[in-house]
Amino acid sequence: MSALTFKLKQRPDQRVDMSPLVCHQLLGMEPLTIAAIELQCGKRKVRVDELFSLSGFDTQKIVIKNSFGKLDYIGKELSEGSITVEGDAGAYLGFGMKSGAIKVHGNVGLYAACEMKNGYLEIDGNAGDFLGAAQPGNKMGMKGGTILVKGNVGERAGDHMRRGNILIEGDAGDYCGSRMTAGTIAVMGKTGRFVGYAMRRGTLLLWNQPQLQASFNDCGAHTLAFLPILFASFKKYDSRFAETSAAFNRVRRFAGDMSELGRGEVLVRI
Amino acid sequence: MLIKLTGGCVYDPASGVDGKKQDIYIQDGRIVKKPAKDVPIDKDYDLKGKVVMSGAIDMHTHIGGGKGNIARTLLPEDHRQDPVARTSITRSGCGHAMPSTFVTGYRYAEMGYTAGFEPAVLPINARQAHMEMADIPILDKGGYVMLGSDDYLLRMLTAKKDQKAINDYVAWTIQSAKAIGVKVVNPGGINAFKFNQRKLDLDEQNSHYGVTPRDILRVLATAVKEIGVSHPLHVHGCNLGVPGNMQTTLDTIQGIGGLPMHLTHIQFHSYGTEGDFKFSSGAAQIAEAVNKNKNITIDVGQILFGQTVTASGDNMRQHANHKHASPNKWVTMDIECDAGCGVVPFKYKDQNFVNALQWAIGLETFLLVDDPWRIFLTTDHPNGAPFTSYPHLIRLLMDRSFRNDVLATIHPEAQKMTTLASITREYSLNEIAIMTRAGAAKLIGLKDRGGLSPGNFADITVYTENADRQRMFEKPDYVFKDGQLVVVDGKVVSTKWGTTHTVQPAFDPSVEKGLKDYFDRYLTMKLGNFKISDDEITEDGRSSLTVHPLKGVA
Repeated sequence: MSALTFKLKQRPDQRVDMSPLVCHQLLGMEPLTIAAIELQCGKRKVRVDELFSLSGFDTQKIVIKNSFGKLDYIGKELSEGSITVEGDAGAYLGFGMKSGAIKVHGNVGLYAACEMKNGYLEIDGNAGDFLGAAQPGNKMGMKGGTILVKGNVGERAGDHMRRGNILIEGDAGDYCGSRMTAGTIAVMGKTGRFVGYAMRRGTLLLWNQPQLQASFNDCGAHTLAFLPILFASFKKYDSRFAETSAAFNRVRRFAGDMSELGRGEVLVRI
Repeated sequence: MLIKLTGGCVYDPASGVDGKKQDIYIQDGRIVKKPAKDVPIDKDYDLKGKVVMSGAIDMHTHIGGGKGNIARTLLPEDHRQDPVARTSITRSGCGHAMPSTFVTGYRYAEMGYTAGFEPAVLPINARQAHMEMADIPILDKGGYVMLGSDDYLLRMLTAKKDQKAINDYVAWTIQSAKAIGVKVVNPGGINAFKFNQRKLDLDEQNSHYGVTPRDILRVLATAVKEIGVSHPLHVHGCNLGVPGNMQTTLDTIQGIGGLPMHLTHIQFHSYGTEGDFKFSSGAAQIAEAVNKNKNITIDVGQILFGQTVTASGDNMRQHANHKHASPNKWVTMDIECDAGCGVVPFKYKDQNFVNALQWAIGLETFLLVDDPWRIFLTTDHPNGAPFTSYPHLIRLLMDRSFRNDVLATIHPEAQKMTTLASITREYSLNEIAIMTRAGAAKLIGLKDRGGLSPGNFADITVYTENADRQRMFEKPDYVFKDGQLVVVDGKVVSTKWGTTHTVQPAFDPSVEKGLKDYFDRYLTMKLGNFKISDDEITEDGRSSLTVHPLKGVA
């Protein structure tokens, strides 16, 4: 069966809430029924077929073509199947996703993988602020799964993160790993200011020495046996993280944030 | 326009009408006498088989002031989970435990309420409280200004200033803050918290000022009486929520020495220490004391099971309760040295022994206090439950078998600790009308409200008689506010703006001399800016001020 494909006819002026178009919601639906679903677009409701031309049948394999940065909530609470986005995605991509996979060829907006529970999210371009974070006011961000970003990410990546992996091949903005409770964030590029701000536990794995706050303590250089195991777990991804040359086991360890619980660690490659 | 409400069964305790068929005439926003025969009726509502009461008045509900906004900020999930869409006549909003202002007004009106009083207006934040309440449509509102932990009053007490000076300060504060009463919250305790005291009993001294809660209550209750404010001193006592606080409450009643006093959310102050869990009901003793002391009025502060948020000026007790926060986040803060604030989200659970017994204690209090003119129906919104649960509460009071059905589902140990099952009393419609209308208007001192006799403002609610009282009270057929039809079949059909109720007790203008120096030296605001002018409330053209008469003053 061919993938269910939504091809955007033309870009609407207003943002579109794409949350109804996820695999588990469309399961068993006829194309005509899907075409008649109403999407919120700004303050209007518009039918799916008004925005998109549809083809294909396999609701467990969704493709969104000509996508652009105003299509929000793609893959909301996804619990099975896969979604491929050709182009950019808007805010709240993969919001609370539980399982399955999302792949975006372009860039994504704010709050991608917000409160993600499990599954796999791959972004070829850049991600906006609050990648894998909690909703504003909530205290639990990403709880599991893996995010791979091949470009750069904005500020506050992994804010309130609790579990799972965020792998960033490019640079991270300010406050990377802020208020983390647990989990792992790996950044191959540069990091901004206030790395690990108010982090309680969790691991930041960095390729370049960050500008650390005074509330992180230098714990010296270490050879850590768990790092090769961690890198081995990245082998399955189509990523520079999977390359043998990327792996290392020798790091300088900084503990913090001492203004919080202080059991987090920033590991910097040496 | 002359409106006639024909043939409804009227419950108007203010004029002693208990379920009598009567016609009501409305003209220019007021209820009028039966007009002469030749005067044409513009609109006639056939109310045969309907129950007619005046608009309900919530005399203690947290609907304005900073703590509401703190609760809203703290609980975005409360708002996300309960969105309300706009319609052609109503505005959008959200919120279950602490709804937005517009939604607050609509939901109250849709239950037949036409007035709500904010019990904790901090003098220095009064402007914000009034502005927030000015955004609540349909309802009339008013506020009780919060004193008792403010530095200025405590300094006066330490300096042994005479009662006259305190009266002037209280009257000046009421006028400056555009209030209709005075509230005291954990007298002196909010202040003592800042001097690292974590509890303060009735006769325990504030470590800095050497003043006891008993002193504060006595001078404030005296001041309120002497300056002629109708609403007695509104007291949130010491030791809220502490097992054994029943004794503190009884001592407070004794200690006031016969002065008028209103004890608010008394359910939270009626706990004993008996039983295996060292937590028991003191409702019987409290009710007995209330029955005996005619100077005391109470509202209950009933808890109902479910998610809500507690927002209180009592930072001392809220700090102690933060361990129970659900979800686990909370705020306690000082407010400009004047008062404090504590916001702790709470989820009351029927399978939790303490919560279940709290539920029973509230109901015992309702049922054991004899005089409905001296007890008022509140959940201390949002502290015990959101105000939207009132119809459910009314059913619990009016329907014994329903009450016992619910009782049978709560924590078994709590069932053993309450006498609720043996109480046969069921509230009558007339008693409900007293508690929620006539009594409340009388207590607050509202002129021409809370009654249905000619001359009163036409705030009228019409219900369809229904044995299921919850159904009956959650969906009135008609609600009139100042003669305008605002709700039909439990849905808002038109909106308007209510008035702000105040009193203006007199004071010696020289009181400002000492205050001006104090403001310049210590506070973030100048004296001139502290005082709220009439214009600030009325100049937007939709709000208005209503000044009510003083007691014993011509």
